[in-house]
Amino acid sequence: MITRRWGMVIDLDKCTGCGTCEVSCMQENNMPIFQDDSDDPKRVKLLNLMKITNDREKSLQYGDVKVAYIPKMCQQCDNPSCVAVCPANATDIGDDGVVSQIWSRCFGCRYCIGSCPYEARVFNWWKPRYEGTFKESLNPDVSISSRGTVVKCTFCSHIWKRERDKAVAKGITDINAVSYTPACAASCPTNAIIFGDLSDPLSDVSRLSKDKRAFRLVHTVDNWGVSKKKNLIKKYPEPKVFYLSSEEWIRDMMRFK
Amino acid sequence: MSKLKDQINAITPLMKVCFDFVKNEYNSLSSSMKKTLLFLFIMSAGFALFALQIFIFGLGYTGLSNYVAWGVWIGGDLSLIVLGGGAFFTSFMLYILRRDEFQPIINSAILIGLLCYAFTFIFLGLDVGQPLRFWFAYLYPNWGEHLMPQSMLTEVVFCITFYFMVLVGEFTPIILGQKLLDRFPVIHQIGHYIHKLMWIGAAVGTFLSFFHQGSLGGTYGVLFAKPGWFRPHLFFLFIVSALAAGTSFTILITWLAGKVKKKDVVPFKTYVSLARVSGFMFLIYFIFRIYDIYLMITKYVPAFDRNFWDLWGGTYGLWMLVLELIACFIPVILLNIKAFREKEKTLIIGVGSAVFGMMMNRFAATLHGFTVPNFPWKAFTPYGPTIQEIVTTLGIFSSMALIYIFCAKYLPIFPHLDKQEH
Repeated sequence: MITRRWGMVIDLDKCTGCGTCEVSCMQENNMPIFQDDSDDPKRVKLLNLMKITNDREKSLQYGDVKVAYIPKMCQQCDNPSCVAVCPANATDIGDDGVVSQIWSRCFGCRYCIGSCPYEARVFNWWKPRYEGTFKESLNPDVSISSRGTVVKCTFCSHIWKRERDKAVAKGITDINAVSYTPACAASCPTNAIIFGDLSDPLSDVSRLSKDKRAFRLVHTVDNWGVSKKKNLIKKYPEPKVFYLSSEEWIRDMMRFK
Repeated sequence: MSKLKDQINAITPLMKVCFDFVKNEYNSLSSSMKKTLLFLFIMSAGFALFALQIFIFGLGYTGLSNYVAWGVWIGGDLSLIVLGGGAFFTSFMLYILRRDEFQPIINSAILIGLLCYAFTFIFLGLDVGQPLRFWFAYLYPNWGEHLMPQSMLTEVVFCITFYFMVLVGEFTPIILGQKLLDRFPVIHQIGHYIHKLMWIGAAVGTFLSFFHQGSLGGTYGVLFAKPGWFRPHLFFLFIVSALAAGTSFTILITWLAGKVKKKDVVPFKTYVSLARVSGFMFLIYFIFRIYDIYLMITKYVPAFDRNFWDLWGGTYGLWMLVLELIACFIPVILLNIKAFREKEKTLIIGVGSAVFGMMMNRFAATLHGFTVPNFPWKAFTPYGPTIQEIVTTLGIFSSMALIYIFCAKYLPIFPHLDKQEH
């Protein structure tokens, strides 16, 4: 019986916006690179490093302008709207809490992209191409997705599989004894991305997700308590990626203020 | 070698007969008809060409993106389904409610429905990333644990498939009634018996239609994480919209056929009767839609900590909603007031506005939601269809027109006309 519930905590106070998480995610997950990928809404990007500023009207004076970087990947919701809407069951929530995406089952209707409030899912608008030596550095643990299918971050489940296989080879068969680190968390130079088991009360993610600096992306249910609003919508995605920030303007922004 | 020559010699007279027939038919057309057909053929050929490009090279050639994942093709789909709703509703009124005043228009309504649903499948085949995997939706459906399927699209796919079969069944007596085939007593008997069982088709069709028309609304209404769409009653709004706009579309197309043929394909009072139903439905729809917008403004959008007007980018995007409401209000007036309904000009303006207004509803209520930013630091996502999308959409409509014209000429679509000619 799996007791793991994988979650992530990203400390925005530590994130420098270097982009290493984006690059390592791309490399780990065999994402294709096309000739002009700059800011293209058709780009295949599983981890999107968003840049936000408190100066939306471009009217603040120098010194008052603040910038923050938010690495955004699939939030691995506990109540995923994408799983509810997929007509072919290409996506499902596992016992470990990770929302899987089987690109060989997907037939590309893109309903899940429409339902995701975090814009975490991307579509292969073109056939993925790997030129020259890029082919030699492809990760054999991640299958290449076809043109016309939806892909998304899977919390590097293939790394977990690899660690489990290594453990079994050593004779450790307890699935809950194995831990792993996804590419983004492993490569972050400031350790802003922390990954772990939310159901383990001693883990860092478990502790930090309850920190007073913690919030989740653009939803207000964390502050609703038992309010009328929550009863009206009745369902909430329940993402398992928590962000930490001591900046009030970021937390305000999350509430569309 | 001589056997082959004999075979060719045997086929040649038959081929000559066919070729002469086509030539004579073509020569009997007016020049404006010839030009129209040529235009429709070119558009259909354009559709085939660009569809091929999309299939071979990918959906990258569309204006769609990871933000606006559905565009003019799904808009076309939704429009076709809502406008094809006239088939089930007219069937229901004729065969279940026994309102015989709709008998003259039923065949045209069924043909329109058949074309709308058939070409919905074609739109879907084009829009989906892996059309060859489309059967996954049938064999690996997302039913979930309860009575209603968990995924709205699962519901839609199954319902429209079964309903399409019902439509084919309802269309069969029309094909069998064709003069060449009807001569055979066996075929005449089969056609007669199918006709007696039409009420079953009408009942099943109505049942299925309520579900899939509603589910297309539900497709967007259940998205509990999207402020631009979420409201549980959208399911019911779309059912009413199909009852209203479907009947108007049937009137419009049949009237157009009559104009082209320069004959009364259907007695004028049939249009008036159907328009009365459509007008009433439009009144219910309009009130419901205003209530829907009111609920969004006051309840549902604020529940996401958002502002309804912000979802439209202030007045920038609101024109779509305003246009929809105006275009849907015109039929409320023109189709409900007897004096307007009984005059041909105002009747046609009413149904024309109804069709346009409902198409605008599909764009405003569903496709607009894709452009709404999900994060406060993001701007609205623009979407503009590429030439591939435009030509394929117009080409699909042209193909539908061509098939309708063909059927209107060679099949007994207008029994009133056939009666008059005898």
